[in-house]
Amino acid sequence: MKKIALVMIIALLGTLSSEAQIQKVDQEVYGMDCAPCAYGLERGLNKMDGLQNVRVSLNDGKAYLQLLKNNGLSLKNIQEEVKKNGFSAKKAQITISGTVKKENGLWVIETGQELFDISQHSPTELVQALTPGMAIVSGTVEDEEDGNLSGRWAIILTKVK
Amino acid sequence: MAISNLHLKIVLIIILCSSTISILNAQGHGPLYGLQTPTLARGGVDLNVASMSLSTENETSYMLRYLFSYGITEDLQINLTTPTMIERLDNAPRTRGNSNMPANGDIEASLWYRFFSNAFGVGKRFEGTAVLGVSAPTDDVRAQVNVGNSIHGAISTGYASRTWYAWLGGGYQYYFEKDNEQLGDLPYASAVVGYRPNIFMGDYPKPDWRIFLETMAEFPGDNKYNGQQNFSDTRSKKVLMGPSFLGLYGAWGISFGALFPVVQDLTPSAVKENYRVSINLSYWL
Repeated sequence: MKKIALVMIIALLGTLSSEAQIQKVDQEVYGMDCAPCAYGLERGLNKMDGLQNVRVSLNDGKAYLQLLKNNGLSLKNIQEEVKKNGFSAKKAQITISGTVKKENGLWVIETGQELFDISQHSPTELVQALTPGMAIVSGTVEDEEDGNLSGRWAIILTKVK
Repeated sequence: MAISNLHLKIVLIIILCSSTISILNAQGHGPLYGLQTPTLARGGVDLNVASMSLSTENETSYMLRYLFSYGITEDLQINLTTPTMIERLDNAPRTRGNSNMPANGDIEASLWYRFFSNAFGVGKRFEGTAVLGVSAPTDDVRAQVNVGNSIHGAISTGYASRTWYAWLGGGYQYYFEKDNEQLGDLPYASAVVGYRPNIFMGDYPKPDWRIFLETMAEFPGDNKYNGQQNFSDTRSKKVLMGPSFLGLYGAWGISFGALFPVVQDLTPSAVKENYRVSINLSYWL
């Protein structure tokens, strides 16, 4: 009986961890030079539902975000909040869980909120490791024009689970 | 009346001292006197309380000033500032006060529009901001002249990084005529250089300090008096220079500094200045 319960818990956890979503974002922010700037950005990000932890570093020029399981946030939401504070969101290192599939012969990952095109600059061995279905990947998302965020990004893979 | 003024001065001194003591809990943003460029986040609110003093060869003014700012967008900010005059000058020089605050008893509403901003690196940005304001006086007569409403416009551009800062700006204030009298207009320019030493490079949320060298150049026109010869086409020339300091901690800021005249080429009716000092406390809601 205990074994059945354990298996059910593991299965449930497995299901949750495979939810299509962003798990972690290290967002590069340009133009942030002062403590009130960092304070304002941190407070703005903290107001968003779905965040577990936020830390802003002036010296790194980055906002470090850990997201809750089953969050509904998108990278677009996060970058829009950066812009709302008067700064420019640049590249981001992210970890996402999503559905890997092929679109027009090219690999993409869909999180439900957004679509990430696997960049041709990704290491070949990581691209070859992709298979259709759920996966957790990490990578660098290229900078997009702040005023023209579409929710479709290019990601250079750094890790595939 | 004299006792009342004395009490107000004591209150001002207490506020000035407590402001200095509470450095770790207070702050400001950008230069103290010169025109600056940063605007609030969309929906951001900033409250400022400043104490200002201006000393001329004959008298000294004391004023508390409050500034409420709201970020309509990240590039458009609305401001409202009101004074509590503790000691007015009988013969007040024509000048601006702190950055985005009048130096006299005017209530002023202004819009700041950051018309360009280029964030090109970590902590680095280059931007330009335009200011348009209208004001109404709280006094009927200033420097023996009937005081009218005024308009103020300015433009500034600046560079900010984690180490160096620089702002350059120019503005113009025009007072409307009232009962055949008119305060002189005020073209002015400001230049500010700022530096943050390495010892203040601690990362957020540690306190953050920077030092500025501020310069103001002012060219106030003479006043127009009723029934007297009109000298309003003559101008004084003043250049003031001095240090200011800005400390930031979380949502709080304090800035304080002084300006001293280095050039005073004055018309006969203009008054000579000795110094200006100011402390400004800010809180970002």
